[in-house]
Amino acid sequence: MSDQSDVKFRLNNSELWGGLIGLALGGFVIWSGLKLKLGTINDPGAGFVLFYTGILMCLFAASIIIGALTEGGPTFGSRWVDTRWTKPLLVIVCLIAFSFALDPLGFLLSATPLMLLLLRVVDPVRWPLAVPIAVLVPLGMWWVLKRLLLIQLPSGIFEIG
Amino acid sequence: MDTLINVAHGFGVALQPVNLIYCFIGVFIGTLVGVLPGIGPISAMSLLLPITLSGTPESGIIMMAGIYYGSMYGGSTTSILVNIPGEAASVVTCIDGHQMAKQGRAGPALGISAFGSFFAGTFALVALMLVAPKLASVAIAFGPAEYFSLMVLGLVVLTFLTQGSMAKALLMACIGVVLGVVGLDSITAQPRLTFGRLELIDGIGLVPVVMGLFGIAEVLFNTEQVIKRDVINTKITHLLPSKEDWKASAGPMTRGTILGFFLGILPGGGAVISSFASYALEKRLSKTPERFGQGAIEGVAGPEAANNAAAGGAFIPLMTLGIPPNVVMALLLGAFVIHGLQPGPLMITQNPGLFWGIVASMYIGNLMLLVLNLPMIGMWVQLLKLPYNILFPLIILFTIIGVYCSSNNVFDVYVMIAFGIIGYFMRKLGYEPAPLVLAFVLGPMLENNLRKSLILSQGDLMTFIERPISAVCLAFAVMLLVGPLLPSLRKKRELVALDEGA
Repeated sequence: MSDQSDVKFRLNNSELWGGLIGLALGGFVIWSGLKLKLGTINDPGAGFVLFYTGILMCLFAASIIIGALTEGGPTFGSRWVDTRWTKPLLVIVCLIAFSFALDPLGFLLSATPLMLLLLRVVDPVRWPLAVPIAVLVPLGMWWVLKRLLLIQLPSGIFEIG
Repeated sequence: MDTLINVAHGFGVALQPVNLIYCFIGVFIGTLVGVLPGIGPISAMSLLLPITLSGTPESGIIMMAGIYYGSMYGGSTTSILVNIPGEAASVVTCIDGHQMAKQGRAGPALGISAFGSFFAGTFALVALMLVAPKLASVAIAFGPAEYFSLMVLGLVVLTFLTQGSMAKALLMACIGVVLGVVGLDSITAQPRLTFGRLELIDGIGLVPVVMGLFGIAEVLFNTEQVIKRDVINTKITHLLPSKEDWKASAGPMTRGTILGFFLGILPGGGAVISSFASYALEKRLSKTPERFGQGAIEGVAGPEAANNAAAGGAFIPLMTLGIPPNVVMALLLGAFVIHGLQPGPLMITQNPGLFWGIVASMYIGNLMLLVLNLPMIGMWVQLLKLPYNILFPLIILFTIIGVYCSSNNVFDVYVMIAFGIIGYFMRKLGYEPAPLVLAFVLGPMLENNLRKSLILSQGDLMTFIERPISAVCLAFAVMLLVGPLLPSLRKKRELVALDEGA
């Protein structure tokens, strides 16, 4: 809470948005519980626990929101002050790209570029070391799984692996 | 006499070559993740959860248990030599352990930490052997109301002890319950929150959730920081503590062991809180409290014994009641469930080989750890120099492969990546993942027991109050929920709040 100021209400207050997301999730859970039918107290239905958990979620989220409005809270920016925020962002982008590539390209064709990117974006590993690691580790893992443990990793449309 | 026969039977199981290998792999990996800052036992256990599928239940669970208590040993090495806790339970060891290392006494610090851990680990096992069967025979009488209330208490204690806002921790626990009940309803077989996806009919898998929240999120969290390591470079000698060191450490070790064991049994408690409690106790009892923080060996011996005793004690609620008291035990429960086993009061009688085999393997594991942590200390010191820019991509690849292998399903890889990203933002915004995971595991059991008790009592809510065990659990839970509203208790909570995710 390093950057709390006298101004209590700020739109970029991360606590406020965290609470609002919780409230929205709670509302959705209540709605889902109602849709699934609550049943009765002596014969609870499929939505019984969901409904009451949703209510609890809304209560806890509301308490977070009230705290954010009355006491203030750190901004989103302050959460990433003095950090190398681009690094996790790049890793996230790599992972999302990998998740899109895994099924169509298969494990080997998607894991090798993923490894190479990760080795180069976090704290760049020298190319002469990064390339062999990026190629040999997925290949070695694939070999162990396929030949020794008889586990088939996705082979993709090119059926490589 | 029965106990001795059972122990002999347990050793018969634990000494099978395959189980010895799994035990060694477990304690080795445990020490490894304990030594490496940034990767805790939770990440390692979630990473290796799919591997338990390949062997017998005994082997898999022996390995998982080995990772847990092995990490308690390994964590102290990093704390003493680098002043960075290898895992959360070793935070306290940094205070005096690193000071000792700076004064050229790294050897005795590491030695007393290993011997203290061994002593406490052995005590915890003997106590586990004696207490667990007795508690299990009592637990047979537990009905759904008692189970429901116990689980509520466990969740509330964990949220009480979690760092930061309690409202956030409780919100996380609720989300965990919701995620846990995704899939077919166990009573009406109605699909819940499946969004028409066939992959969700059986619910969300534990492996992708924990690997995402603890494996991927941990890596993302660590990549944004520059991890600096100031490894003590002097040669480590005199690993065997002197007579004076033993004399000063005997009391703290004994007290830490007893305190840690009982704190470990409590739901929500565990290794972290017990090490802090032991340090505070020793400082209070010491005639020269000013030495604490300046390299007092008591400040290493007590907490190290306490966190290992707690690691042993934490097995009691899982083995006897089937209720995991913390996230690590929740993962162990996951390993049991993967093999179609349900730990609980009946497991000791119905599956004695498994229970006593695990207990006996822990004895053997403790001996292995003593060897791994004393003569081989040089190897771990070298490992502290392993570059993270190579380690992190490898961890990501292993998590992807691990998740895929656990279900042979690409969908689980997507789930893991999604939970990894969510977990990273959760941690950044101060939402701890530990209550979510524990609630995720307990959620279906909690729902089942609540509905069963309501059906059995014909909707009478008084059933939770009229049954003494249930009433006591709920009363404690209410006290802990209301407690933080009182300023004095809030202050105490902030002091003991722990970071389970580390």
